Amino acid sequence: MESTTQNLFELAVTINGTRYERKVEPRMLLSDFLRHELDLTGTHVGCEHGVCGACSVLMDGRPVRSCLMFAVQVNGHEIVTVEGLGTIDNLHPVQKSFQEAHGLQCGFCTPGILTTVVAFLETNPNPSDEEIREALSGNLCRCTGYQHIVDAVRLAAEKMKEK
Amino acid sequence: MEKKLIGKRIMRNEDPRLLTGQAQFVDDVNLPGMLHAAFLRSEYAHARLVRLDVSKARQHPGVVAVFTAEDMGKDWFPGPPLVSPPPTVEDVVFHSRRQVPLVKDKIRHAGEAVAVVIAENRYIAEDAAELIEAEYESLPVIMNIEKALEADSPLVHDDLDSNLAAQLSQKKGDYEVARKAADVVIRRRILIERGAAAAMENRGVVAQWDAKGQALTVWDTTQAPIPIRNGLASRLGLSESQVRVIAPYIGGGFGPKIMMFYPEEMLIPWLAMKLNRPVKWIEDRRENFYATTQERGQVHDVEIALTRDGKVLGLKDDFLHDTGAYDPYGLTIPINTQCHAMGGYDIKNFTSEFKVVFTNKIIVTPVRGAGRPQGIFVIERMMDAAAKELGIDPVELRKRNLIQPDAFPYEHGIIDQAFAPLILDSGNYPAVLQKTLDAIGYEKFIKDEQPRLRKEGKHVGIAVAPFIETTGIGPYEGARVTVEASGKVNVATGIGTQGQGHFTSFAQIVAEQVGVKVTDVRIVTGDTAEFHWGTGTFASRGAVVAGSAMHAASSMVRKKIFTLASKILETPEEELELEDGVVRIADMPQRSISLGELALLANPLRGAVEPGTEPGLESTAYYGPRYGPTAFGAHAMILEIDPDTMMVKIRRYVVTEDCGTVLNPLILEGQVHGGVSMGIGNSFYEQLHYDENGQLLNASFADYLLVGATEMPHIEVHHVETLSPLNELGAKGAGEAGAIPVPALFAQAVENALHDQSVEVMEMPLSPNRLFELAKS
Amino acid sequence: MKIEGEYIFDGPREAVWKLVRDPEVLMKCLPGTQTVNKISDTEFTGEVTVRIGPFSGAFAGRVIVSDEVPPQSCTLTVEGTGKIGFLKGVGSIAMTELEGGKTLMKYGGEAQIGGKVASVGQRLFDSVSKSMAKQGLDTLNEILKSSNA
Repeated sequence: MESTTQNLFELAVTINGTRYERKVEPRMLLSDFLRHELDLTGTHVGCEHGVCGACSVLMDGRPVRSCLMFAVQVNGHEIVTVEGLGTIDNLHPVQKSFQEAHGLQCGFCTPGILTTVVAFLETNPNPSDEEIREALSGNLCRCTGYQHIVDAVRLAAEKMKEK
Repeated sequence: MEKKLIGKRIMRNEDPRLLTGQAQFVDDVNLPGMLHAAFLRSEYAHARLVRLDVSKARQHPGVVAVFTAEDMGKDWFPGPPLVSPPPTVEDVVFHSRRQVPLVKDKIRHAGEAVAVVIAENRYIAEDAAELIEAEYESLPVIMNIEKALEADSPLVHDDLDSNLAAQLSQKKGDYEVARKAADVVIRRRILIERGAAAAMENRGVVAQWDAKGQALTVWDTTQAPIPIRNGLASRLGLSESQVRVIAPYIGGGFGPKIMMFYPEEMLIPWLAMKLNRPVKWIEDRRENFYATTQERGQVHDVEIALTRDGKVLGLKDDFLHDTGAYDPYGLTIPINTQCHAMGGYDIKNFTSEFKVVFTNKIIVTPVRGAGRPQGIFVIERMMDAAAKELGIDPVELRKRNLIQPDAFPYEHGIIDQAFAPLILDSGNYPAVLQKTLDAIGYEKFIKDEQPRLRKEGKHVGIAVAPFIETTGIGPYEGARVTVEASGKVNVATGIGTQGQGHFTSFAQIVAEQVGVKVTDVRIVTGDTAEFHWGTGTFASRGAVVAGSAMHAASSMVRKKIFTLASKILETPEEELELEDGVVRIADMPQRSISLGELALLANPLRGAVEPGTEPGLESTAYYGPRYGPTAFGAHAMILEIDPDTMMVKIRRYVVTEDCGTVLNPLILEGQVHGGVSMGIGNSFYEQLHYDENGQLLNASFADYLLVGATEMPHIEVHHVETLSPLNELGAKGAGEAGAIPVPALFAQAVENALHDQSVEVMEMPLSPNRLFELAKS
Repeated sequence: MKIEGEYIFDGPREAVWKLVRDPEVLMKCLPGTQTVNKISDTEFTGEVTVRIGPFSGAFAGRVIVSDEVPPQSCTLTVEGTGKIGFLKGVGSIAMTELEGGKTLMKYGGEAQIGGKVASVGQRLFDSVSKSMAKQGLDTLNEILKSSNA
């Protein structure tokens, strides 16, 4: 199989509110497109086979595994990555809650968890601990044992209710 | 020492960057002109490399180069030994065999790198790697460590007489005498398998050679940037000052990232110099299972000798340890196992001999626990077997044998992994055990709840496991603390950070002395340009050793602050206070000077620096203990098993941790939670399945099961603080503690739950299938 | 990995045997076979493209036939290497005549699979090997029936 600069697809996609137009090979993964083409390195790749969830981003508001998608599949869609949730000076309530509850250690799995949690709390703003754990079951973390992550999600739900 | 910041649940300094995706990991490094590497790895576990033809790969468009061992010429040679055998133990057998950058003639484990392709991007590099033609003559594969030592076994290393890599014995007292005096001697065979560290971030190396400036920069997912820097300088014929190794944010270490020098670590910097372009290699998950080190099996033949009323007179533990295809990491893991095989018990007679065996699998190097879980599993299983045999309650039996608070420092008379004497410095073991028993409600559960649940037909078990953890070993670490003109403090140390919160816990130590806010302390770890003496992050030593160096350096800076402020404010030091970055006269607070101003005055533009003093408010200090402190803990668990499916549900999980002074309880709890999750993985979910041809059959997260949020119980963490007399902080390490007693705990709980099926668990890990088999037999 | 099974052919044993020992017929039967070369009466090489889950690739293989007791039984030793992995296996087939001019074939064997496909495709081997065997035997049966007709 040869890779060439022919057969490039003209991709147009909105990411974190900005529209990007790029020519990409059809086989380029969305995770690689975000990280290498656009230098949005906040989304991390943990397994490249769709199990760990570190690469999760939001496509039209729903979490998807960017390692299991081709960049061309998001043509015409809206993507939100961790960079679009908040900034260092203006953290999203979910991000702030993770800091307060110590819901991260090495931080590698965290971006995928943040996007998953943001989408989860939109559909389930009042979750029980069991529902939180269920919602997190598609994200692997090797550092935290999940306990403080659950605390962070609970705290985030409270914070967002107050808003 | 009055503590305003140490011991507080302070939020982490590093989190805003990590939470917003702004923290730089190795794969985030993006350099102009950067090339990408992909490896051709052997699929055979044991084979001769007969033919290697890379010509088609070289011709693939977008490929810049393909290298084999032949192409490296005189630059091809094995990696260095990292940890030599202990010089102080007699009759040590040690055959050092180290890994190579690329295979030259013989493959010794599946996944060994045979050729490397460098191309414009990773997609092309992998395409080209498929065009390489390799012919192998497969050889019989050595998988089982007992069979490997048989006389007719094929050899992993043909220049040796056998597959014995090492042999070492340690003795304390006289076990034979103890055995003769005992009322009861119990023998068991114990099999323990561990697993992969499986950090979420795979390994990676990026190297850039600046030919004009004659400087090499390497970003590496290493837990030990300084030894990598030194080793690379030596391998590449450079001065150490020409090489900068940066371990930026690392996505979890857990041990394998301190293994040095992986073939890729040897190759990628060499390639960057050879091609004069930056080169990046990032491991993918399947490679991680094949080419990153792991911990595997030990087979123990154990004997425990006791009196009728449960006093342990002696212990004998002979075992085999699988080291894989090479043994660069010395005897660290099996020596740790030996040092933990007596647990926290007062055992006066001990003998242990281990044999380390080569096999055709990836190298074994420490994974969180590093041999300690195996030692604790052995002693705790024997205590449980003894309790059954003697008809003594298992908790009571342990209480009768724990080292008492007045027995410290307790010298075992054997040596530990750092070649230092195994001395347990301090502890209050009975108090910690009791706290756990109270927290889980042991008495009440055994008397009331369990009988009631059993009547209902439920299979619910309880278990309690105490354990020791040797921590904080040498050789040393260092730190440099500097107050800057801004009034903020800059700190550098040689170790790296992989999520343990050093940027915060270390800032607390410094801020405590230098009188600033924790958020005004900038910690730099893992950059050899900032600090270049030290070892690395491993063996639960970061907080104790680097932290102690930070404490010492900050204390020296505090003295300089007071000395200088006293001169400027013309007031004796005793009348000054330091708080919030300002020094003021206690009785006249309007007379004050900020640290920033002091820092400027300490760096004179005119005038002299007096002999014997240094400019600035800066100090560097080193801390190198003769031996490390020993932490203690006790875990307890209530576990329910469904006897039809043999699936488990952990109903309660309690930890009491005594790691001396706790720097930041939030961070400590996180470390305990994470350790327990890995321990639960090692007990029930994780298992590396190799077939008889050395093929790893579950090299993906689909089949190598990491615990998720729905498998983890809620963990209650309690603290006891028995300060260590070995360092001024009074601290002991805690990074691995969560993982150490869990397999022992699990085995006990399972036996207790399946009370009506007389199951004895002398192996790890378990699984529903295995439990079913054990229950049937 | 163990493979075993039974198949009933719509034809006499001698006819089945003849087809089984004909490399051109095998090429038509084994799904994914690209080429078959006869080295001798008892040795064949060939190329087969296999798809197992996410992996698909060409295997260069060699088959050696031994312990022949025509038209009853024989042993097949198989070796194959490709980009996605390698395979070694030994199997045997045994055929008996049934009433109505049919033939019962019993087959069994063990294969060792290594490489990429072994590390992630384990759980698929059973079903893939079963479906490949069924497809191959069905095709062989069709050829048998059409040659009888």
